[in-house]
Amino acid sequence: MKKVWKKSALAALTLGLAATVLAACGDKEEAGNAEEFKGKITIWDGPRWPDADDNKFHWLEEKIKEYEEANEGVEIDLVQVPWAEMGDKLGVAIAGKAWPDIAPVDISGSSVSIDHIEQGVVESLDPYFDKDAKKDFYENALDAYTYDGKLYGIPNSITLHTMLLNLDLFKEAGVEPPKDGKWTYDEFLSAAEKLTFDRDGDGKTDVHGFSTYIMPGYYEAWPFFYKNGGSPLNEDLTEFTFDSPEVVKAIQDLADLKLKHKVAPETHGGNDVGGTFQAWANEEQRTVAMQPWATWAIGAAQGKYPTNFMVAEYPSGDKDASTIGGVGGWVMMHQEDVNKKAAVADFMKFISTADEQYLMAQNYGIFPARISASEMDPFKDNPEMTRAMEMSDQVVMLPRHPEWRKIDEAIQNELQLVFNGEKTAEQAMADAKKAVDKILE
Amino acid sequence: MTQMPMGAVPKKKDEKLKVIGKSNGNPKKLFYEVKRNYSAYLFLLPKLILFTLFVAIPVVWAFVLSFQKYKIFGSEFVGFANYIKVFESDAFRIALKNTLLFTVVTVPFGVISALVLSTLIFELGKVSQSLFRSAFYLPTVTSMVIIAMVWRWMYNYDFGLFNYVLGWFGVGPVNWLGQSSTALWALIIMQCLIPFGVGIIMYLASMGSISQSLYEAARMDGASRFKQWIHITIPLLKPTTLYLVLLSTIGSFQVFTQIIMMTGGGPGSATETLVHLIYKTGFRDFEFGLAGAQSVVLFVIILIFSVIQFRVLRHDE
Repeated sequence: MKKVWKKSALAALTLGLAATVLAACGDKEEAGNAEEFKGKITIWDGPRWPDADDNKFHWLEEKIKEYEEANEGVEIDLVQVPWAEMGDKLGVAIAGKAWPDIAPVDISGSSVSIDHIEQGVVESLDPYFDKDAKKDFYENALDAYTYDGKLYGIPNSITLHTMLLNLDLFKEAGVEPPKDGKWTYDEFLSAAEKLTFDRDGDGKTDVHGFSTYIMPGYYEAWPFFYKNGGSPLNEDLTEFTFDSPEVVKAIQDLADLKLKHKVAPETHGGNDVGGTFQAWANEEQRTVAMQPWATWAIGAAQGKYPTNFMVAEYPSGDKDASTIGGVGGWVMMHQEDVNKKAAVADFMKFISTADEQYLMAQNYGIFPARISASEMDPFKDNPEMTRAMEMSDQVVMLPRHPEWRKIDEAIQNELQLVFNGEKTAEQAMADAKKAVDKILE
Repeated sequence: MTQMPMGAVPKKKDEKLKVIGKSNGNPKKLFYEVKRNYSAYLFLLPKLILFTLFVAIPVVWAFVLSFQKYKIFGSEFVGFANYIKVFESDAFRIALKNTLLFTVVTVPFGVISALVLSTLIFELGKVSQSLFRSAFYLPTVTSMVIIAMVWRWMYNYDFGLFNYVLGWFGVGPVNWLGQSSTALWALIIMQCLIPFGVGIIMYLASMGSISQSLYEAARMDGASRFKQWIHITIPLLKPTTLYLVLLSTIGSFQVFTQIIMMTGGGPGSATETLVHLIYKTGFRDFEFGLAGAQSVVLFVIILIFSVIQFRVLRHDE
């Protein structure tokens, strides 16, 4: 019996060793050698913060110069793409198999989907990122780029949505803003009612308490729908759950701000993103006191649209406050040459160091995905960003279903009808369920 | 003696205008004709290459795609599955209904208004005619993106021109693009109010080729200006009308820029149109096979409409 055990153990050990050696060879082969690559790497990026000459690509241009000087024979080609066109352009590039080597993509966003990962359009970065390399990243940031146990990108920023309150309007209406930015939905509604007023006495409302918009791909309103608990899909992504009574009530509550309480303008729940922001931030308008926005708006309200504002949490309902988050980062598109793959990964790491993320956080209004970059305290002189950063533990990610864009559209189309008063939240979510169930089949 | 209307097909008897070197579909003859007139065909070649690359191949490719489940690496042949999906899809039905309504209202309005405007402009002197011709043609050379942006502002709930004017009469404001009941009609009104510049130019050119002797004869018979317009002008402009109806029907079925710029197909699906749906299916959902099938169905719909229009408007020519 002992001999049999010994033999089995030996066999297992031998097999194990062989497997390890083979796997190591495989990894090495897959990883390639960056130093052996000479040629061109194409990277796409959108405009970031401007330099003195208003060049919004200066950061990446400088990094490219540094990298090219240190790596002779490697040429990095930067393609400047406006953020608004990034999704569409990348989609077309993927369809035509003419993708860049590196693209700035939030996988939970719209240009690259789980379906693309499954089809092999996005390369796994596992051969270049071992456990130690991953240690410095926040877990939820890595999770956003992990699918089926493999890493498909380097996260460089975390974003989330916050409530922005115009303090001048609060003062004008004699309303106290929430202490520490925390409040219940009832307190929020009461504030919205007081913040809706006729400034010039002509019988027309000049300032509304709240406004937001509803559009596929935009989630500013969604944390309100989570206030009683609930989410669009169940945990294993097999069932539509936005029709639960608690979610239906939360949706109806937000629509009723316009339909019943009249504390939101007619455009509340429409699709005018720019107009909604202007109504809050533009000095000549300032017709809305409270709006939810992603953190870029904090930078805008501190820069281009100087506003006396504060950052608050989404109001809590039956459950604690929550917010929707996103993770920005770099992905490597499919490569044929293993050495080029290694070089591409090397450059991606070069622009994703803690120092770079710290610089980006300070200048670009995002939260670092690296723990060490956060520990450098990039927002020590920016209490609003610090406040927003404190909300990161409330972040809820969107469901990572391969067909999410279709599911999202089915829901958002129905939400628009609720906000128009054309359907009740209950009817709309029952109809959304029919559409989503077809997609989930 | 009457002059031949502009664009009319010459009679076969007319030797001077006889089509030279017709191959009648015989490949040998075709080859011989091409060889004989090779310099002329050389001039055609660049355009032919561009047409093949950017029109013919994509059209054929869309047809091929419609029978596939498109994958970046290795698409699968799925037979008619994409077509079945198209006909079962509520989204396609809604988009088709919206597109049809858009077409049925905007095409007749556009062509009739072009005809009426051209008639009025034609009566003017040379200088005034040129002025109006340019004024009405100008929007045609302006990008629809710009026009859509301006109209989006005009429909703005808070600051838009329309609500401002309605305010004078104590009406409104109306959430033009935000309500399902008004959004599609707002787009239709916009399309109707943009002058059909190409139509006006073509009608003016065709009117110029109608012989004045016909009007003189009619006047001698005591026909009123309106009767002359009904019985002479409109019938003789029929080839132009047919061309314009076909052109604008195809354009209306392909309405896209206004949708993506102004409503994104919403609210709900109130302004979803076929080409916007095809765009979303292809470039947002990456279902190029299904988008291909939708495109082929759209092609067939346009073809059927064109044939019907051609027959209805041509039969008594």
